Order: sequence, then C-alpha cells, then structure tokens
Amino acid sequence: MDGIDLAVQPGEIFGFLGPNGAGKSTTVRMLTTLLKPSGGRAFVAGYDVFKEAHQVRQAIGVALQDAAIDPLMTGRELLRLQATLHGIPRRKGRAKGEELLETVGLMSAAARRVGTYSGGMRRRLDLALALIHGPQILFLDEPTTGLDPNSRLAVWDEVRKLNREAGTTVFLTTQYMEEADRLAGRIAIIDDGRLVSEGTPAVLKAQVGDPSIHVQLASNEDRISAEAVLLDFGAPAAARSGYVAARLPGGANQMAAVVRALDDAHLPVEAIELHMPSLDDVFQVATGHRLEGAEDDAVAEPGAGEVAAEK
Amino acid sequence: MSSLAVTWGVTHRTLQLVARLPSTIVPSLVMPVVLTVAFAGAFSGLVLLPGHPADKAIDWFLPLYTIQGAAFAGVRVGIAVARDLTTGFYDRLLLSPASRVSLLAGSLLASPLLSVLSFILLVVIAGLGGASFKAGPAGIVMLGVASFSMALAAGAWSVGLALRFKTQQIAPLMQTTVFLASFLSSAQMPLNLLDGWLHTVAVINPMTNVFALARQGFLGSVNWHDTWPGLVSLAGLTVFFCLFAYRSMQKVTP
Amino acid sequence: MNTAAAAAAQYLALSRRAMFGTLRKPTSFVPSLLFPLMFLALTSSSLERSISIEGFPEVDSFLQFAVATAVIQGVIFGSISAGSGMAEDIEGGFFERLIASPVARTSILAGRLAGTAALGFCQAWIYFAVTSIFGLSVEGGLAGMLAVAIVAAALAAGVGSISVALAIKTGSAEATEGSFPLFFALLFLSSAYFPRSLMEGWFKAAATLNPMSYLLESLRSIVVAELSALNFFTALGIALGVLVVGLAVASALLKRRLAMDA
Repeated sequence: MDGIDLAVQPGEIFGFLGPNGAGKSTTVRMLTTLLKPSGGRAFVAGYDVFKEAHQVRQAIGVALQDAAIDPLMTGRELLRLQATLHGIPRRKGRAKGEELLETVGLMSAAARRVGTYSGGMRRRLDLALALIHGPQILFLDEPTTGLDPNSRLAVWDEVRKLNREAGTTVFLTTQYMEEADRLAGRIAIIDDGRLVSEGTPAVLKAQVGDPSIHVQLASNEDRISAEAVLLDFGAPAAARSGYVAARLPGGANQMAAVVRALDDAHLPVEAIELHMPSLDDVFQVATGHRLEGAEDDAVAEPGAGEVAAEK
Repeated sequence: MSSLAVTWGVTHRTLQLVARLPSTIVPSLVMPVVLTVAFAGAFSGLVLLPGHPADKAIDWFLPLYTIQGAAFAGVRVGIAVARDLTTGFYDRLLLSPASRVSLLAGSLLASPLLSVLSFILLVVIAGLGGASFKAGPAGIVMLGVASFSMALAAGAWSVGLALRFKTQQIAPLMQTTVFLASFLSSAQMPLNLLDGWLHTVAVINPMTNVFALARQGFLGSVNWHDTWPGLVSLAGLTVFFCLFAYRSMQKVTP
Repeated sequence: MNTAAAAAAQYLALSRRAMFGTLRKPTSFVPSLLFPLMFLALTSSSLERSISIEGFPEVDSFLQFAVATAVIQGVIFGSISAGSGMAEDIEGGFFERLIASPVARTSILAGRLAGTAALGFCQAWIYFAVTSIFGLSVEGGLAGMLAVAIVAAALAAGVGSISVALAIKTGSAEATEGSFPLFFALLFLSSAYFPRSLMEGWFKAAATLNPMSYLLESLRSIVVAELSALNFFTALGIALGVLVVGLAVASALLKRRLAMDA
C-alpha cells in the first residue's frame, strides 16, 4: 500500500475498484481492524481504526468473500453465533437472524450446512451475517466475484435496497467495472497499491472523453463526404477500417441528427455504432493498461447495454 | 454477561466443529481406549518387575492414556483453531466487538469439555478391565483433576501455537511436543526403575508429578504427598500456557 | 520387445513419481520416519530394566529387542501414504488422465507399490544406521540387516497395496489415512512391543493368532540371535502373504472402478 488518501461520505456506496492483487483486500483488512498498517491513520465512523478498534468493530459489518463461512455449520447456526459475538441478547438475536434469513431468501436453506449452498447463497448469507447488528457501515470485499450473472444481480439488488432503505454506508471492493458503475455513487480506482483516480462514475467517464459515433458506409467512395458531414457534429475520432468516426459532445441525443444529415447528403449507410466511454476506458487512461477480464465481464453481464439508458 | 455468552458461543462452535469432523472425533475417543487396552495387554508382564508399584498393568497404563487423551483433546482444539485461521473463519471472530479474552477463553474452554467424553469412556473401560480403584472415588477425582487441567494446558499451548503461526501445518508441532512432554517422564516406568538420561529428564519434567497425582488412587491411597506436587505442576503448566496463548492472541490483532 | 521396453519405462516413471511424490511431502514422510525412532528411543530407555524380568528372552538391551518393531512400524506408517497418494490422484484427476492414456493398467498398481517398497527398504537401513550409533549390534550381521530390509520392502508393498485398495474404494485421501489406527491395532495386538512369554489371557491368545507376531519374532531373532533361512522365509512369507491379499483386492477394485468409468 502506497499512501492512499480517501474519504467516504455517510450514506453513500463507495466503490473501490482494481485488478486482482492491487491491494484492495489489504485496504479492507486495515480499515476493518484486522491488519496493522506500517504507518498512516484511518478513521471509520469517526473512530481511529487502530486506537479505538473496539468502537470501530461495533459500527461496521464486514463480508469477507467466501472465506469466513464454515461449511460445516448451518446458515442459522452461523447467524446465531454472529449475534452472540456482537453481544445481542439471545432472543433478540434469534429473531433478527430469522428476519435476515427471510430478507436474503435463505429461510428454506437455513437448517442446511453451508457446504451444500451455492456460491450465490453463500454471498447472501455472508451479507445477512454482516447485517446482524445493524451496522452503520458495511464493508463488502468482492461480493460477487465468481458468481453467475443472476446471483450477481440478486446481490446487487440487496446492496442497493440496504443503502436506500437503511441508509447504510457501503464500502465495496470489486474487480468488475460493471459492478462499480452500477452500484457505487463514487469510485476510487486502485492499481498496484496506488490510488490512480477518484470521482463519480459519470465524472470519471467524462474525463476520458465524449461518446463517439462510428459509421460504416455502403461504399468506401463516400468516405470524404461522410467525414465532412460528421465534422459538423464534432471532432474526428480514430475508427477501425471501413468506418468513419467522430466525437459527439452532445452524446446519444445527437444520434438522430447525424443519421438525418447523412441521409440528406445521400450517403447510404451500412451500420452505425455509438460508443459510450466506460470505466474500463477510465482505467486504461489512468493506468496505461486494461483491467484484466474486462472484456469477458461486459459480455457475461446481462443488461450491460442498459448502462447508457440508465445514467 | 455478554462476555460469558461470547465465550460459550465460541466453545459451543468449537465442540460442534470437532463433532462434525469424523476424522477428529473418532480418534479422540478411540485412540486412548485402544492404547490403554493395547498397553495394558502387551505390557502385562511389566508389573512383575521388582519395585514396580502397580499390581496390574491396567492400573499403570490407564491413567497415562487418560491424561494423554485429554492432552490430545487440547491438541485437537488447537488444530480446529488453526483450521479457522487458515480458512479465514477466525476473521469473523476477530471482526466482532467481543473482547479478545472472551474469544480466547471460548477456545480454551473447549478442550477440557472435549476431554470429558474420553474420560468417562476410559473410567468405564477401567471398570470392565478390572482396574483396582484402590482409593475408590477419590482416585477417580484425582484422575479427573489431572486430565481436565492437562486438557486446558495442552489446549492453551496448541491454540497459542495456532494463533502464532496461523496455519494448519503447525499441527505436527503441537502433536510432537505434547507427545514428548508426556513421554519424557515416568509415563511408562516408575522413577525408581528408570536409569540414565531419561531418569534425569523425568525428575525435572513436571509431568512426572502429574502422573503421580493421577495414578495414586489406582496404586494405593490418595495422600497429600502424591497430590500437592501434581497440583502445583498443573497450576504452573496451565498458567504458563494460558499466558502464552494470551500473548499470541495479542499479536494477532492490534 | 518394443512394447516391453515401453511398459518398463512407464513402470519406472510411475514408481519414481510415487516415491518422489511421497518424499516431496515432508509433512507426511518425516513423521513416519521420525516417530517410530522417537518412540523407540523412549521405550528402550523407559523399559530397559524390563529385560531382567524372568521369562524375558535373552537380549543385549531393550533397544535390540525393539528395533525390528520400529522398522516395521515405520514401514506401516510410511506405506499408508502410498494409498493416500493414490487417493489424491483420484481426487485431483491425475488418475483419470492415467486411465485415459495407453499406460498398462498393471503399471498403475505396480509402479506405486514399487516406489513404496523402495522407500521401505531405505527406511530399514536408516533405522539400523541411527540405532547403531546408540550401540545396537545386529547378531545376524550385514546379511541379517539386508534380510530385514528385504522383508521391510515386501511388507511396505503389502501394506501399500491394502491402502491403495482403500484409496480406490473410497477415492478419499482422508479416509485412506484414517485406516492407520487399524494397522496400528494389528501391530499392537501382537508380540511387537513385549514378548509373548510375558503376556496372559485373551491378549496372549490374540497375539498368538496374529501373523504379525511371527513376522516380528522372526525379524527379532535375526537381530538378537542369528540369520537363519527359517527366520527369513517365515517373515518374508507373511509379508508376501499380505501383498498377495492386498494386490488381489486392489486389482479387483481397480477393475470395478474402470468398468464404472467406462
């Protein structure tokens, strides 16, 4: 870790984004009192992480990937143990446990050993465990790594609901662009133990540049005239062969106007693509290399196309 | 109040874990019994040696394997904690606001409780195998005191090692040290029949006193002379290793 | 000729793999080598005076009485890792790859057992080397030690074949290693640790029925008295008997497993 400076506001979902081995887990372990740093200070919920560890532990809930779930225990047993560990009186703890089992949809599996759970069920249980004492701040370390797309969506829904309804602050680490983009209000990008960029997803993407439009013409002879038409909308952009491209500062709203202008100039068009800048581009600009697996991630993600529409 | 609940919660889980790992529960119950029967049978002629205090081999070997079984119950708890540290489950305990002392106490309490089962089983075996019980219930009480304290001391040592090294690979070190500590004593032969280096080591080893405490009711009467050195040794071992475990716990988290 | 050479090469490769696989896992191999030595040191110091009990066979020291037992104990301890190695191959999928390859089925078993036997052979020599530092004299001489080492190798293959059978049956390394107390009990219910002449009752009866008693008594005679054809062949015969039974069970189970996979 190399001098990371961060501030997370109460009530927000903060995304901590970086590739494997970037130092995300180390940061989380330090912030959650599990690891002593060599230097520097950190405050969680207003308490010094190193001097007031006890108060910090009361204020936070932590879901640490799969590891902290014992396959030999049942979901219900784990929730009860967790309640006991947090000093919740027996009866209240049990009631809260049942309530959480219901919330995360694990009631029917509650009496089964965790070893028989699917990956998605484990993450939901881990989430329930982190919530047993109603923490102000929730730390989620890669909550969906290794999950199938449907389970991932279910976990996302849960996290959003929690943030919206209970006002819980969420500190989320992830190696998925999509996850940070869709969940987090603000994002910090970390690479090789250094903080390389920080801001809201929209601002970060805007820093990289405007959306661009890419047009494939029916005939390559129309190239020059098409470039002239596009110049009215924005500066030319690099395009792959057979395409002409331009940046659109006005974004997707200008699409229709571009199509109309090309039509008015009698330039037959084969295909039109709109490229939105992604967090992947942000990462690439900030670090000089691509996030591992970013491409697969986008393909595997159902509803990845909604991004533009949603924002 | 809630510290006690935490301690009991951790103890309960540890026992549950051991019970659900057949590879752990079976040996901890069966091994002391097998060893008692085997040694009492194989070495039945040993008590014929002039100067040997036992009438029957079972009177000599049963207390040895009861205590060793109890010590290995402590080792099993240490291995369970090491497993939790390896898998990351222990993080869950460390992340809770519960006091570190009550978390540690929870693990430590599990060893004597775990050793209760094999203790009862062995006393029954002793009855069936014709052990002398010369001092009656008082002798059994002394055996119990020695066993449960031994379980606690060996458990504290093993849990301390687990917390220090945070890997299951430390298990052989736990086993070997407990094995050696108990055998480098009057475990197999009374002091008066030991010679050479082993005699020297056995005289120093507090385990010799512990065995004397545990065996007295099987060999003769329960008396103060055989009791106090054992109690002092057990108190010393327990306090020393509990402190070791506590120091190890302090190093785990800030 | 060509196929025979290929089979030999496969067999050698597999036995090397079995042997180095064991050696590369010091956490399983080192205890099996050191524990019996440690136990030997402890018992021969503890029980030294017991050799003066009336009826105890004529020996120089308890160490001389017990060294053959330590060899056999170490061999049994170590050979179980042959089975757990096999079980790990099954768990890890290497076994499937082996089955899918044109490797002869017999090489799979023979390769592993040869590796185990070689380790057993070496183990015997290590024990003799260490104990001779502490004053052990083997009356049967170097030839006697060689005889003990040969029996140790045969028994290693025998115990290995049984644990391999268990591995094929259960497919679990843990379950295979769990068989250790079984062998241990077999060893204990014999005259491995104390002479039969000083036992009594049902224990003596059990030890008299247990073939392990005769294997150990024969080896012990080689150490404390002399190397005789009778002693050598009795011990070797029993070890080979274990091997024959183990191989029969293991190959039957292997055949069944292959039929199941097919």
